[in-house]
Amino acid sequence: MTAPSPSLSTQMLRRRPVIGAPVAHGASDHLKRSIGTFQLTMFGVGATVGTGIFIVLQQAVPKAGPAVLVSFVIAGIAAGLSAICYAEMASAVPVSGSTYSYAYTTMGEVVAMGVAACLLLEYGVSMSATAIGWSGYLNKLLDNLFGVQIPHSLTAAPWGETPGIVNLPAVLLITMCALLLIRGASESATVNTVMVIIKLGVLALFVAIAFTAFTTDHFAGFWNAGFAGITAGAATIFFTFIGLDAVSTAGDEVKNPQKTMPRAIIAALLAVTTIYILVAFAGLGTQEAEAFGSEEQSEAGLSVILENVLGGSTWASTVLAAGAVISIFSVTLVVMYGQTRILFAMGRDGLLPSAFAKVNPRSMTPVNNTIIVAAVTGILAGFVPLDYLWDLVSIGTLVAFITVSVGVIILRVREPDLPRGFKVPGYPVTPILSIAACVWVLWGLPPNTWLWFGIWVAVVLAFYFLWSRRHSALNDGGDGLIPAAAAQEDEVLLPPKDPQ
Amino acid sequence: MSVAVGYLAGKGGRSPLYLAVEAATTLKTSLTVVTVVPRPWMTPSIARIDAEYAQYAEQLAADSATEAQKCLDSIGSGVKVDFHKVAHRSASGGLAEAVEELGSELLVLGSAADGRLGQMVVGSTSDRLLHSSSVPMVISPRGYRGSTAGGLSRLTCGYPGTPECVSVVERVAALAERLDVPMRVITFAVRGRTMYPSQVGLHIEDSILEATAGQAREALVELKKAGVVGDAVTLQVATGNGWDQAIDGADWQDGELLALGTKPSSGIARVFLGSRGSKILRHSPVPVLVLPG
Repeated sequence: MTAPSPSLSTQMLRRRPVIGAPVAHGASDHLKRSIGTFQLTMFGVGATVGTGIFIVLQQAVPKAGPAVLVSFVIAGIAAGLSAICYAEMASAVPVSGSTYSYAYTTMGEVVAMGVAACLLLEYGVSMSATAIGWSGYLNKLLDNLFGVQIPHSLTAAPWGETPGIVNLPAVLLITMCALLLIRGASESATVNTVMVIIKLGVLALFVAIAFTAFTTDHFAGFWNAGFAGITAGAATIFFTFIGLDAVSTAGDEVKNPQKTMPRAIIAALLAVTTIYILVAFAGLGTQEAEAFGSEEQSEAGLSVILENVLGGSTWASTVLAAGAVISIFSVTLVVMYGQTRILFAMGRDGLLPSAFAKVNPRSMTPVNNTIIVAAVTGILAGFVPLDYLWDLVSIGTLVAFITVSVGVIILRVREPDLPRGFKVPGYPVTPILSIAACVWVLWGLPPNTWLWFGIWVAVVLAFYFLWSRRHSALNDGGDGLIPAAAAQEDEVLLPPKDPQ
Repeated sequence: MSVAVGYLAGKGGRSPLYLAVEAATTLKTSLTVVTVVPRPWMTPSIARIDAEYAQYAEQLAADSATEAQKCLDSIGSGVKVDFHKVAHRSASGGLAEAVEELGSELLVLGSAADGRLGQMVVGSTSDRLLHSSSVPMVISPRGYRGSTAGGLSRLTCGYPGTPECVSVVERVAALAERLDVPMRVITFAVRGRTMYPSQVGLHIEDSILEATAGQAREALVELKKAGVVGDAVTLQVATGNGWDQAIDGADWQDGELLALGTKPSSGIARVFLGSRGSKILRHSPVPVLVLPG
């Protein structure tokens, strides 16, 4: 007789057991608490300043006008509060550190599936959109350097405002990143540092040159967009702060996390917000707010602004485009990596078919995942003008962050004695403020973003009800999830003992 | 059938000689010390322009033979030793030629001299042979002076868990049976390096390593189930943050030999060491046997 299958509500609310992260043999060595505030801050800045700022002004300024500066502050505050809550969650639940696993261990399977939907949307859209942004800067670079442009029909999606056939550079970028990931390549700490320096360098160049054409007139009518416009701007901008939570997950490696963590999060947030506001302020000083929405600036926007400022001289725009081409490449690699790893975690938990959790024995990387991700995002980037859908990235992230903040409160109530390396200061005000800030920013998103988001989540949940809940690894008591041997020394499967 | 060992006085040290003696003892066969010397100018010339060069080559071969003899005497194994001189443009080409001519079943080479003691650094000669030799090769770590046990105590087979490598395990198992030594099949699982995407966390690579190790374990158990290896064979998965750590953690014993298979690069059975094989070779603390694919 088979055991009766659990009821639907039991399935939906069952939680993944809290277990320590499996540690590779000898891996505990690298978990020395060695990172200080400064390093952690730099880590946060490096992880946050990515593609966003190269692209976001053209999206956000038309909504908020010059008051986009305020939008940056609002989005920053929401991101900072979320990051602080994230840090407590990361220290209390030592699973792999993804919002998906936190939701699974605190709020149950169905919420985890919802969060997974948010993450997949966030990563999928942001990778495709990043690749499209890269394509724009690449074309700008080629044009400036050689006077050659890839024909419009090969750099535009068929369903855009000015239709082409396929966005070939975007597809190529995704293919290259997939090949690198399949080979197990990763961005080393050194490369990461170089990338951060390149990004900050070209942004500094932009600010310096843009200030030479600064006119305060362009700030006239600062508040014209009104409260709604500012909120809408903040909602679009929010995605540029994604990455700040990388600071939060570094808890195990931080000296005195209770002090270091909030300091580093706040310092990183201040640094990032300052950089963004400087770029936005300098950019706004050069031209009317309406100009940001013009067709000319829809590709490689910051480069075009520099050309306008320098009156046709292209050297600065070339440098900026080159910096963007290099750094956006590295961002796409990291984003694709993230996407494949989330799918891996879901496959391992049985919420997706086990093919997603399969590791190729040769390269020791999840190859199936990578190919699927590359195929889907490559098609999206090639044929859909997703760069207008950055709002979908923001919505996914905001909802995922809200679940983390809710999770902090739930865990405090349910398991007050759980050891936590870091506790949110000012509980319960901080998590509530965090939720409130995220909800406020969400409020600014346009209805069609909500619609797309709703459809996507519904599709994922339908998959859950039809497939995942029957195949969840928790169905057999979760034994498969406990890494029996992982925490031990290298396992030796010994031959049978001699009978004597 | 004999064991050939490449040796040149003043190059690479005496470690291959120690290993070659052990190999010949284990395989119960004779040993041939092969020295490759530069090929003199073959054009007949009344002026005998190349006489001094030829003499130098002759001297080099004689010196090498004397030194090798001295060393082999000090090892004192009772193995029958021959000396063989090849004149060839390149050391690797000469060794390949000698192996063919002598019909050797195994070629022993040493590590290049720029490694640390106990390390294996593939020099230009062995590198070329590791990608073209038609017979199995053994590489000795730098400064290898034989096992205290005086012979082979265990044969470990590196197995990446892919179906095409099962034949390698079969061959190593047959060899272990023939030599009557215990066998171990080992799979190395190395943790990928972490990147820092948002909302994924820093520990996801640990889970991937765990999955890799789990799959490797299943593949190993499968070997026993399928009867590729006997019940007495030890199976092991060694994990680590890098190849060095994984290999270090695998518990090596005195007198152990690590056997690696290579992928067939063409229709002809040849050694062709891949990138993983090279990494394992670089970090292995015991001599490594490389089998042609």
